[in-house]
Amino acid sequence: MTGSALIIAAVFIAIFVAFAVYDVLIAKKRSHKKYKTGTAVTAYLMLLPAVVLAFLFILLPILYSLGYAFTDYYLLQPNSISFIGFDNFKQVFEELAKGGTIYHALINTAIFVVGVVPLQIGLALGLALFVNKPFKGSKIFKVCFFAPVVISLSVTSFLWLQILSPSETGLLNSLLGVFGVAPHDWLRDPVTAMPCIIVLSAWQGCGYQMLIFLSGLSNIQKSLYEAAALDGAGAWHKFTAVTWPGLRSTFVYILITVFIGACRILTQPMLMTGYQNHTVTLSYYMYQQGYTYRWVGYSSAVALLMTIVIGTITLIQRRAFREKN
Amino acid sequence: MENSVYENLPEISDKSAKTRKAVSLAVYIAAGVILSLIFLFPIIFMLATSTKSESAYAASAGRITMFLPDFANLGEAAKNYGNVFTDYGIWRYALNSLTYAAIAIVLNVLINGLAGYVMAKMDFPGKSFLSFMIIFLIVVPVETSIIPLYSIVKIMLGLKEGASVIGVILPAAISIFNIFLFSQFFESIPQEYEEAARIDGANTLVVFFRIILPLSKPIVATVAVFCFIGVWNDYIWPSMILPYNQEGEWPLYPIQAALTTIQSIQGITTGEIMASLIVTSIPIFIIYVLAQKYIVQGFGTAGLKM
Repeated sequence: MTGSALIIAAVFIAIFVAFAVYDVLIAKKRSHKKYKTGTAVTAYLMLLPAVVLAFLFILLPILYSLGYAFTDYYLLQPNSISFIGFDNFKQVFEELAKGGTIYHALINTAIFVVGVVPLQIGLALGLALFVNKPFKGSKIFKVCFFAPVVISLSVTSFLWLQILSPSETGLLNSLLGVFGVAPHDWLRDPVTAMPCIIVLSAWQGCGYQMLIFLSGLSNIQKSLYEAAALDGAGAWHKFTAVTWPGLRSTFVYILITVFIGACRILTQPMLMTGYQNHTVTLSYYMYQQGYTYRWVGYSSAVALLMTIVIGTITLIQRRAFREKN
Repeated sequence: MENSVYENLPEISDKSAKTRKAVSLAVYIAAGVILSLIFLFPIIFMLATSTKSESAYAASAGRITMFLPDFANLGEAAKNYGNVFTDYGIWRYALNSLTYAAIAIVLNVLINGLAGYVMAKMDFPGKSFLSFMIIFLIVVPVETSIIPLYSIVKIMLGLKEGASVIGVILPAAISIFNIFLFSQFFESIPQEYEEAARIDGANTLVVFFRIILPLSKPIVATVAVFCFIGVWNDYIWPSMILPYNQEGEWPLYPIQAALTTIQSIQGITTGEIMASLIVTSIPIFIIYVLAQKYIVQGFGTAGLKM
C-alpha cells in the first residue's frame, strides 16, 4: 500500500515538474516574464504543508477509491491485494438481482431522496417567502425556523429517538394516546420508519436553505414587483412572473446540494435504527461493508457506482434547469 | 355639503386601510407564532425534559406539561445536569472536542492561508498545474472516500491508539475550498501594502503574518467558524478511527461520538439524555449567536462552490 502511494506521489511530482518546465520554457520565449529562483523556492516551501496534506487526505483517497473497486482488498490483509477486474461490480448487480441488502439500500435511499428533496426545498421556500416581509418581528420567526440547523445530526437523531420512542411515554405516542391511539413502534415498523426519518431530516435541514432563498430574494429588484402591481398582477401572478424567475439560479443550486446531501444520508439510520433492511441506505451499506465487514474492495465498488449515478443525475438536473437564454 | 363628503372620503378609506393592515398583521403574527411552535416543539420538549426526573417525565406524558419545565422541582434539573458532568464525565469529551477544534482551526488558517497567499500573490513554475488541481478537486464530486481514507490513516500511516488523534485533526486542517477562498480574498488586497513592507526589508513570511493576515480578519473568521462547526459536529469519522478499550472507556472521543456511548449506559434517565444533548449543542449555539456575520458571509461564498 505504501508502495502504491509512493508510485502515485512520483507520478504526481513528475506531472508537476513537466508543467513547471513548460512554464519556464514559455517564460523564456516571452522574454518579458522571468521567474526568480528565490521567490519560487519560498513559494514551494509555503505550499508544501498544504500539498502534502491534500495529497494524503484528498487526492489519494479519491484515487484509491477508484483503484480498490477493482481489487479484493480485505482491510486486515493489506499486503495481499490482487486485481480482480469487474468481479466486485458483478457481485453488486447479483446482490441487487437477488433482492439482498443492497437492494433495500437502493430502494430506501430512493424513497428518502424522493421524499426529502421536495419537502425540504418546499418548506425552505415557503418559510423564506413568509419571513421575507418588511415587518421587524419577522426576524424572530427567522431565528426560530433556523434553530434546528444549529443542532448537529447526531443530537437530532437522539432527540427524535426519544420523541418517536415506542413506549407509552414517548412524546408522539403519548400525544396520540390522548386521542385513544395505541402506542406504535415508529422506527421498527417498515412502513413508518423512512417517513419519520424524512420528516426529521427536513425539519433539521430546511432552515439552512431558507437563508439561501432569502439571499436570493433580496437580489430581486423591487421595481419588478412595482411594475407587476401596476399591471394589476395578483400575489400568485407576482410569484410566477417575478419571484420564481428571479430565484431560478438559487433554486438550481439548492436542488443540487440538497439532492447530493440526501443521497449521502447515513447518520440518521445509523443512530436511530441500526443496520436494518427497512432503513439501510447506500452510504450505510457502503460503510458497513468497508468498515464493519472490512471488505474495502467491494465497498469501493459500491462507492464508485454511487458517484457515477449521483454525478449523472446532477448533470441532468443542471441541464434541465439551466437558464434558457 | 357635497364638498365636505368628498373631503372626508380619503380619511375614511385611510382608516379602513389601517384596520385592514392591522388585521393582516395580526393574522401574519398568529401564523408565525404557530409555525414557530411547530418548528420549535422538539427543542422545547428537549429543554423541558432535561429538568425532569424519570417519574416526573412519565407523569407528564400526554399532557401539556411535557413542554414545560418542572418548576416545582428545580433541584431535579440541577441533578440531571450535574450527573451529566460528574457521572457521565461529559466535560472530558467536550474538552477533547474543543482541543481538536482549536488545533484544527489554527492549522487550517495557517496551512490553507499560506497556500492561498502563494496562489494569489506569487509567481513560480508549476503554478498553472496547481491552479488546475484546485479547481479540479473542488468541482469533482466524490461521493464517499471515507473508507479509503480510513485505510490510509490506519494502515499506511499506522496511526493507532493515542496517535489516532492525529487522524482526527489533520484531515480537518486541509480544505481545498478554503485555499480558494483565501486566494480570492488576498487578491483583493492592494499590492502597495506589501511593497511598503518589502522596502522596509520584510521577508515573505513577515509580510504574510504582519500585513496580510491582519487585513484578512473577515475571511479568517469565516474559515475558523466553519472549521469549528465541522469538527465539533463530526460524528462518524472520529468514532471510526479513535480507539476504545476493553473497560468500555473512550478517553479520546469527541463529544458527538461520546453521546452514542453515554446513551447506552445502563440506568441513564430520559432527563439526563436530554441534558447531555443540550450541553452538546450549547457551544454551537453560542458560535451562531456570536459569529452570525461571518456565517452569513460563508453562505454567500457557498454559492461560489457551484
